Amino acid sequence: MSEAQTPAGPPVVSLKKINIRYGNHHAVRDVSLDIARGEVVAMVGPSGAGKSTLLRAINMLETPSSGTLHVGDFTFSLDHRLSQKELLALRRSTGMVFQQFNLFPHMTVEKNISLPQMRVLGRSRAEADKVTARLLERVHLADKAKAYPARLSGGQQQRIAIARALALDPKVMLFDEPTSALDPELGLDVLEVMRELAADGMTMIVVTHEIAFAAEVADRVIVMADGEIIEQGPPDQVIRNPQLPRTQKFFRAILDRH
Amino acid sequence: MSGLLANWADWLPQLWKGLLISLQLTGAALAAGLPLGLALALLTSARTPWLKWPAIALVEVGRGAPALVVLQMVYYGLPSAGINVSAFISGALALALTTGAYTSEILRAGINAVPKGEVEAGHALGMTPGDVLRFVVIPQGVVFAVPALMGFAILIFQATALTFTIAIPELLARAYRIGAATYLYLDVLILAGLVYLAITIPFGWLVNRAARRLGSHLG
Repeated sequence: MSEAQTPAGPPVVSLKKINIRYGNHHAVRDVSLDIARGEVVAMVGPSGAGKSTLLRAINMLETPSSGTLHVGDFTFSLDHRLSQKELLALRRSTGMVFQQFNLFPHMTVEKNISLPQMRVLGRSRAEADKVTARLLERVHLADKAKAYPARLSGGQQQRIAIARALALDPKVMLFDEPTSALDPELGLDVLEVMRELAADGMTMIVVTHEIAFAAEVADRVIVMADGEIIEQGPPDQVIRNPQLPRTQKFFRAILDRH
Repeated sequence: MSGLLANWADWLPQLWKGLLISLQLTGAALAAGLPLGLALALLTSARTPWLKWPAIALVEVGRGAPALVVLQMVYYGLPSAGINVSAFISGALALALTTGAYTSEILRAGINAVPKGEVEAGHALGMTPGDVLRFVVIPQGVVFAVPALMGFAILIFQATALTFTIAIPELLARAYRIGAATYLYLDVLILAGLVYLAITIPFGWLVNRAARRLGSHLG
């Protein structure tokens, strides 16, 4: 699908022995994972498997209790609390897209995308607005710069959210069920933008239930269950010919529904 | 009846002057009290104990003590601490403290109404916690609180009547002065009450309109 098949250089994201606990609940168990530059990884699995939790640990929206986290130029041991500086550096290397879009409703589309550039990267308003205009073209919403999010459809809002994250030049884009809150046909526009992003060589980790999308766009599919990666590999192998009974059951259930 | 109306016509200019002072006191109390309320709202939610607990103490005392007691404490307390200010300043300061304590709870509710997902998005973008507060949480939280804050503004306007006890020549003080001179206490107090209503009732309508407009924006 892309150059990721031929592993080039050090991984952009590397997780080593990540554990996440909530009280007695062990949500993510000893997960290790390397993701190469330009690789598109789809994370699938039953709800409660720990996919979103693991994804949210990559930018520390969830705090692992142990492990090592490497993103871009930064490597953090998670045995100690990250300092504010480390946390900001980590988050500046990642872009995240949420299920519920989470645009700022009191700002225009343009400001949603420009303000973080000005505050986080120190760009001037003129510079930021230029980047914003270019990204709005890229997500096919150039005419919505002055609109407020509430006036947009869910699919449009999600594409704005993608543009907002891209504007900060992240090393990796994290997608947390980006189409789950959308009507199926609205989700198509979002998936189209993600497909283009993948074709442009962006490193992407996508937690999703869209198996067709995973099969088409992902370089690698990762199946999680009970806080662990139980199976992974190219989509052809994992989706069409899963090895474990647990994985077979999961994909059969999804395919039956379609 | 015509005697009453003639008296009211005589007294109204005096009460009008008093009303202006009442409104100035209200404005001063809100101008100083609302920023204090916002600061207290943020501090009471702070994680740092030495920021959080003094703020909580101030809010609890400010809400727990009758406004009249706070007023008297400031009026008599400041001079004994060597600070001499006019009665108007004392009154405004005391009402600002009360305003800060009460509005901190209103503003905190508004701030808590800002969806957590937006705060998370701000953090995920790499914005500092201060920037998330400044650009995402506070602008929206304050707007959510506007109807309740306007309702509180009516209450603090009414509370300015308490400052007649520290000899500020506001609306009620002037009504009393006329009552003392004429012995027509009831007549003049009715007029004073009507003047308060002339402010509070239209303002109350505005509050309802603001609440409805905000509701339709959120819906």
